[in-house]
Amino acid sequence: MAAVAPAPVAARAHKLTEAQEGLWYAQALDPANPILNTGQYLDLRGPLDLPAMREALARTIAESQALHLRFRMGEDGPEQFLSPQGITPRIVDLRAHPDPEAEALARMRADSDRPLDLSAEPLAAFTLFILSPDRHLLYERIHHLAIDGYGMVLVTNRIGEHYGTLTGAGPVPMPLPPYQRAHDENDAWLASDRRAQAAEWWRAAMADLPEVTGPNPGRAVSGHRFIRESRWLPADIAASLEQVATRCKLGWPDVLTALTGAYLARWTGGDCVIGIPFMARMGRKIARLPCMAMNVLPHRIRPDEDMPLDDWLALEAATLREERRHGLYRSEYLRRDLGLVGGSRRLYGPLVNVQPFDRAPVFAGLTVGLHILGAGAVDDLTLTFRGDPQSGILFEVDANPALYTAHDIAGHSARLPEFLRAALAAPSLATVPTASPAEIAATEQVNATAHPVPDTTLTALIEAQMQATPDAPALSHGDQTLSFADLDRRSAALAAKLSALGAGPGGIVAVALERSLELPIALLAILRAGAAYLPLDPDHPAERIARILSRAQPAVVLSAPDLAALFAPGTPLLTTPDWPTTGAAPATPAAPDDLAYVIFTSGSTGEPKGVMVEHRAIVNRLLWMGAHYGIDASDRILQKTPASFDVSVWEFFLPMIVGAELVMAPPGAHRDPAAIAALIRRHAITTLHFVPSMLSAFLAAPASGGLALRRVFCSGEELTADHRDRFHQRITAELHNLYGPTEAAVDVSYWPAAPDDTANPVPIGWPVWNTVLEVLDDRMRPLPPGLAGNLYLGGVQLARGYLGRDDLTAERFIPDPHRPGQRLYAAGDLARRRPDGAVVYLGRSDHQVKIRGLRIELGEIEAAIMATGLARETVVLAREDNGGEKRLVAYLVPKADYAQGALAAKLADTLPAYMVPSAEIALSALPVTSNGKLDRKALPAPEFRAGGRAAETATEQLLARLFAEVLHLPRPATAEADFFALGGDSLSAVRLTLRIGQETGRDPGLGTIFEHPVLSAMAAAIEAHAQDDGLGPLILLADGDPDAAPLFLIHPAGGISWGYRHLARLIAPARRVWGVQHPGLDPQTALPENLDALAREYMQHILRLVPDGPVHLVGWSVGGIIAQALAVELAAVGRKAGLVALLDSYPADAWRNEPDPDPVAALRALLAIAGHDPNAHLDLDSREKVVAFLRAGETTLGALPDPVLDGITRLVTDTNRLVRGHYHRPMPGRLTHIRAALDHAGENLGADMWQPYAGEVEALAVPFLHPQMTSPEASAMIAPELVRRLDRY
Amino acid sequence: MTLTLEQMRKDIAELIELDPSEVRDDDVLPDLGLDSLRLMRLVLAWEEAGLTADFGLFAEYSTLGEWWREVVLPAQAV
Repeated sequence: MAAVAPAPVAARAHKLTEAQEGLWYAQALDPANPILNTGQYLDLRGPLDLPAMREALARTIAESQALHLRFRMGEDGPEQFLSPQGITPRIVDLRAHPDPEAEALARMRADSDRPLDLSAEPLAAFTLFILSPDRHLLYERIHHLAIDGYGMVLVTNRIGEHYGTLTGAGPVPMPLPPYQRAHDENDAWLASDRRAQAAEWWRAAMADLPEVTGPNPGRAVSGHRFIRESRWLPADIAASLEQVATRCKLGWPDVLTALTGAYLARWTGGDCVIGIPFMARMGRKIARLPCMAMNVLPHRIRPDEDMPLDDWLALEAATLREERRHGLYRSEYLRRDLGLVGGSRRLYGPLVNVQPFDRAPVFAGLTVGLHILGAGAVDDLTLTFRGDPQSGILFEVDANPALYTAHDIAGHSARLPEFLRAALAAPSLATVPTASPAEIAATEQVNATAHPVPDTTLTALIEAQMQATPDAPALSHGDQTLSFADLDRRSAALAAKLSALGAGPGGIVAVALERSLELPIALLAILRAGAAYLPLDPDHPAERIARILSRAQPAVVLSAPDLAALFAPGTPLLTTPDWPTTGAAPATPAAPDDLAYVIFTSGSTGEPKGVMVEHRAIVNRLLWMGAHYGIDASDRILQKTPASFDVSVWEFFLPMIVGAELVMAPPGAHRDPAAIAALIRRHAITTLHFVPSMLSAFLAAPASGGLALRRVFCSGEELTADHRDRFHQRITAELHNLYGPTEAAVDVSYWPAAPDDTANPVPIGWPVWNTVLEVLDDRMRPLPPGLAGNLYLGGVQLARGYLGRDDLTAERFIPDPHRPGQRLYAAGDLARRRPDGAVVYLGRSDHQVKIRGLRIELGEIEAAIMATGLARETVVLAREDNGGEKRLVAYLVPKADYAQGALAAKLADTLPAYMVPSAEIALSALPVTSNGKLDRKALPAPEFRAGGRAAETATEQLLARLFAEVLHLPRPATAEADFFALGGDSLSAVRLTLRIGQETGRDPGLGTIFEHPVLSAMAAAIEAHAQDDGLGPLILLADGDPDAAPLFLIHPAGGISWGYRHLARLIAPARRVWGVQHPGLDPQTALPENLDALAREYMQHILRLVPDGPVHLVGWSVGGIIAQALAVELAAVGRKAGLVALLDSYPADAWRNEPDPDPVAALRALLAIAGHDPNAHLDLDSREKVVAFLRAGETTLGALPDPVLDGITRLVTDTNRLVRGHYHRPMPGRLTHIRAALDHAGENLGADMWQPYAGEVEALAVPFLHPQMTSPEASAMIAPELVRRLDRY
Repeated sequence: MTLTLEQMRKDIAELIELDPSEVRDDDVLPDLGLDSLRLMRLVLAWEEAGLTADFGLFAEYSTLGEWWREVVLPAQAV
């Protein structure tokens, strides 16, 4: 076919109309984006008159001038003009193609996906695909700048009209108007004062817009394609729609728009702004003109869901009418007027597009189907309804694939019709669930967790186990182990005493004990007396303990003598010395519905809440866990969770009911990664628990590397995908994410966070036995997957309620609206379901926060602040200002007697340490929003900064830097900065110790941080520590498996062995690596008689650590000479050396006949110790110069206090004496020599010099100089060689 | 059957919930709340009453007076 040119052609260029501007800029920003190619095809069935179709296309193309538009950048901005080039409609005969329809669709897709050159090629294309004699597809593609949806309808209908005329079936159609009318209408609108009025109306109507988003958050900018799900609205829904519209005397499109908006509002907290495509042709001379004219009207929907449906629909329709009256004002301008341009700010979210005109056109003698391929950009979601209730409504969900998955849109496509069906039949929206019936049924499947569990008590299960395996180990603490028979005996004796003191079923006995053997005995004894146990944390303030005791009124309080001061006079204490050792368990068994324990959690009223858990609940939880994870008598479970935290319940009792061994961690060990790792290794722990933030610190600690155990459970706070992935990189074990509040017997859900799990976020997963998880909205209606709501828990594990607080119990334990007679617990957590039904935790929904697994009611802290009398008003927030770490900040309007910092001291008397805010900020008034609510966003971020002098000494400067790093401070801390006042907590303290360890090579110990939180004091303590430990005869260079034979690294000439820290860390944690240091570092200590005497002294230290097995020795330089001498001494006492490796050491014979080195030369050996090449610094020829050089560098040696440097200097000189006076004796076994191969040019030094002094010499070499042998680079080459040889022993 | 100006005024007023006296010949109908969907319903009703006229042609004008003069009279004159 020939090209069809427009008639007539106007040569003049025009500015763009307002309607085109936005599109032009969108396309100019992304010229390669084809999404503005709007397209559709007609499926024509029947005998087509091909010549008539050709002519109909030619006539339509000729008279639709917009199709011939081109766009270019002119001097005053973009402009458009009509091209005389013409458009050639194409006819493609696919009759011979094996799959002509698929081929046609592929060609359409290829054409639509091609970005156009708007200045140089036609914006429109028409192709008729011949599939068969009776089937043709007519494809139309026009760029959005030239056409809008209604314009496409006009063009398409036009082809049909001409076809009708040409086949003799219809009259000659009225001519189409000229494109000039688009300019005329635009000019008229620009000149009209209605434009300014409309702008004003919209500004007022859209004031106070919420932050606009769609169902899925994210940056809503259209990509190059969209994804679609389409289906026909079921006929009954279309019929109801028409009925309701008629009943309300409204247009059905308005009813459909409003209800679709109500559905969308459900996804954004009941308030949304939808975009409504508006034809913008009504009453204008462009009504019949194919062109781009449409606008998008923002329409806010926040339904009053209690309002009768008809009233609400009428209100919506009235609003829509007003908006259409002002609908010519462009939304692009309104967006600008409202300051919503840029970033993620938006005027509207999803589009709701009801297209009653979008019906298949008429082609005489043919059956016609209409298929829309693309209608422009899809920024977010576009919900389109094409057709009308009589002829059927096609429902399309188009979505931006950057924001929505295919799963998401399939969900909306299936769910929205169900919502419409329910809403159209409902008295009000309040009764309409967002979840579809199919989704509600799927949730019921997930919650079908019924599983038989014996109706018994925890006590009965434990007693049965104690009977079954009396000789098996039940309980270990340190070196002590009790069998189940021991546990039986001791707990029975104490139970008898408790019973005698009045404890029994229905009663409570409190326990305040540090972790010890006595603690689990006490808990079991209480259960055996039939009472419920109430754990108290001995670290909590006496005042809080007193409040708990006054509410709980325990019959007895079990404690230890050193904790007695925690209790008020008159408390019925029974301390450990008074516990009996004999006696029979009383015959007062608890029933399954008696209480097993009462655990107090933080309460919003300022009063802790006692959660009462019955035997039946905890039995379900424990039997599930034992069965689900196959935990049995071969397991050893670590008890490290404080008893007042309900995770401890399974740690204590699961081993007792499956016959496993319970290993008690020492008090305080739960905060110390190195201690935990050592416990795991020492006791071959198979199962333990971490709060995720502690797991994170544990994974960061060197000691956790390479651990292997059966399973690790996490709960208490959110386990992140990062935690999971780091865990599996470092530790060989199963990882399980559990979730549950104290109010539902520890945990109610589980998720295996396996190495191949890629879920992010990590779900809390699936309900345990006899448990339901419900995600409901604020009206207790079920929610679909993907939509966040409140998490409710139900089933056998629910607690009885709060002790003595029926009011709070009634508030949180509510009747299940969907299961008559059952209760639900409102967890206070936000959650959503994944499509597979697994639940994902999203955070707290109320004023509770969780900090490191501890649930904190901010209200309780606020009540405590008010109780101090220092504040008139207060609010406490958990802020994440720095580095994503949550810290509590108290804001207060102070009373007269308040002084900065006064609060924390007072609060420490009444609140546990984890609840004392890290910062307090005094304000003259709390900021409020315009509607009088507290304006949380206006509360200033705290400056965790202390005044005072700047850090001075090297250690202080190091700490100043590390404080800032660990606490995310903007600048180094000052010398008077208090680590905890700056926002530090126990977790960041662990991090600080790790960092100090990395920087100095010495672990300062967590205790140092807690004892000396002020920077200058901490620095002094660390320095003192360095003198005590760092310069002692043995220092632990790197911690490792205590059960493996350790490696000893012998100091070089200066007497210190810190230089080995790189090497040590590459060998640990498979074994511990110790540095052996010269006792003469202390100037008060006499120097050794000779080298053999020194070796013998070292042997004494070493054998204390290695009572049997091989002793592994490595030494560099002089250290190697000593190592060889040590091996000789070991053999003399009947012990064997294992690995004896000498790093570039040579026998004394090589030096003996050399002239004495001068004192300065000896000093310069210090340079080598510090890692410098002494020959590169020949200018350093005096002690002062050497010391100054070392001080200037960032070496540990340079940071040493003067006396220590003096000691080293003394030893460097003295060691020369020792070596020259040493005569080697032969050692048995192999000597491994590692030569610094780049050194010793011109010197006749080699491994073979050791031949006379060893049973066998193995010679290795590495490409370094002698001074570099302990550098990180050399260590990286040497360590694997040493490890390979160590592994042979 | 012939469509009259007053019948049209009555139909329009009913659809936009006004009294016929409030729909004057030169009132801008979109400003009174008449949108394309309501116009569609009007045109369908008038077609059933015997009028042969294009929806698009009505939409090109914005007042009842124009509709009568430019669309209905010429159509009924045929």
